Amino acid sequence: MKELRIEDLNCYRGSHLVLKRLNFSINSGETLLVRGDNGSGKTTLLRALSNYIRSYEGNIYFDELKTKEDHKYKNKFTFIGQKNSLKDNLSVKKNLKLWEFLYNRKISPIEILSEFNLSQLIDDDVSSLSDGQRKCISIQKLRFSESMLWFLDEPFVFLDEKNSKILMKKIENFNKKNGIVIVTTNIDLGLKFQKEINLNV
Amino acid sequence: MYNLILRDLYLALYSSANFFYTSSFFILILVLLPFIFGTSIDQLQLLFKGILWIGLSLSIILTMERIFNTDYEDGSLDIILQKNSSLEIIVISKYISHWVVYCLPLFIILPLLSLLFYLNTSDVFAIFLNLLLGSFGMIFIATFVSALTLAAKRTIFLKAIIMIPLFVPFVIFGSGDNSWLILLALSMLSFVVSIYVSTYGLRLYGES
Repeated sequence: MKELRIEDLNCYRGSHLVLKRLNFSINSGETLLVRGDNGSGKTTLLRALSNYIRSYEGNIYFDELKTKEDHKYKNKFTFIGQKNSLKDNLSVKKNLKLWEFLYNRKISPIEILSEFNLSQLIDDDVSSLSDGQRKCISIQKLRFSESMLWFLDEPFVFLDEKNSKILMKKIENFNKKNGIVIVTTNIDLGLKFQKEINLNV
Repeated sequence: MYNLILRDLYLALYSSANFFYTSSFFILILVLLPFIFGTSIDQLQLLFKGILWIGLSLSIILTMERIFNTDYEDGSLDIILQKNSSLEIIVISKYISHWVVYCLPLFIILPLLSLLFYLNTSDVFAIFLNLLLGSFGMIFIATFVSALTLAAKRTIFLKAIIMIPLFVPFVIFGSGDNSWLILLALSMLSFVVSIYVSTYGLRLYGES
């Protein structure tokens, strides 16, 4: 049983205090839904959890180790941000090849695309894809690393009903394998997760 | 490290920055010379060296946004930062891949170009050595400027204004004769400054 725990987290963006005395903990196999208005600090929270922001006050523990000091923590999480990491002027296949280099892991493009039924787009330029299709491909970055933590920043934006269900299924399967997921959203999706926090209050 | 270099080379190859394009750029800049200054050989030989330096500076200034800025804009930098063990390794890989893509073509076609201008071998070798040693330092400078201005989108003129004064020492010594030792020293000096400032810029990125 592993636990991700946040104690008294304060985080500034510029001179704004966006996260104020935040406390929560989440165990293996659970999903946490982070809700909040625009600018309430959802992305900041995920970026602090992913160690991109390091100037926060308070502590974040994973598996009883401080994430700031644990050198192996880098390989324990996958962060899917709102940016897609796709190069517009290249085809989908070449973009996946670039990810193979970045993640140092080979996965066949068909296998990655078929999960969201996008196999027919393999030779299309990314610039010709819709926002939803780009988002689906971006989410598939999850396939490239074997981590115990998924931090998904607004993953349901642009997704249609069918693809949202596929993503939900993916999250549930990951939970069954003892994975921890943190999902942010600013609209009510009517989705049920084990835990929920609201950054507005 | 190898993966990051390979990734950048692969990206360059398929996004209109391959060997053919960069070397054509240098050739076309040199071909402009006779149109501007006439065809008198003496005069052209004098200008050849100067134009090479301008061509090299231009190719570095125009493409410096591809070092970190494009990866920053589409979010690839997140993955790069997460998957590499240290910031220094990231910066050094970027030096290598950027130099290979945007400077190496010049050195491959330089002997060919010098034929067009009737230069003898020893002159070409001196120019070649100066350019080679200077190009490293110029790449180091472009990298740290790129790392410090990550979030400043489409401000190539601003970045050029920051970089061109820093290129001045390279151009002054580069156009002189027998000055390769000074260029080597300048490149080493800019490496020390660049690696420190670039990693600092990348560290700040997380906070922005």
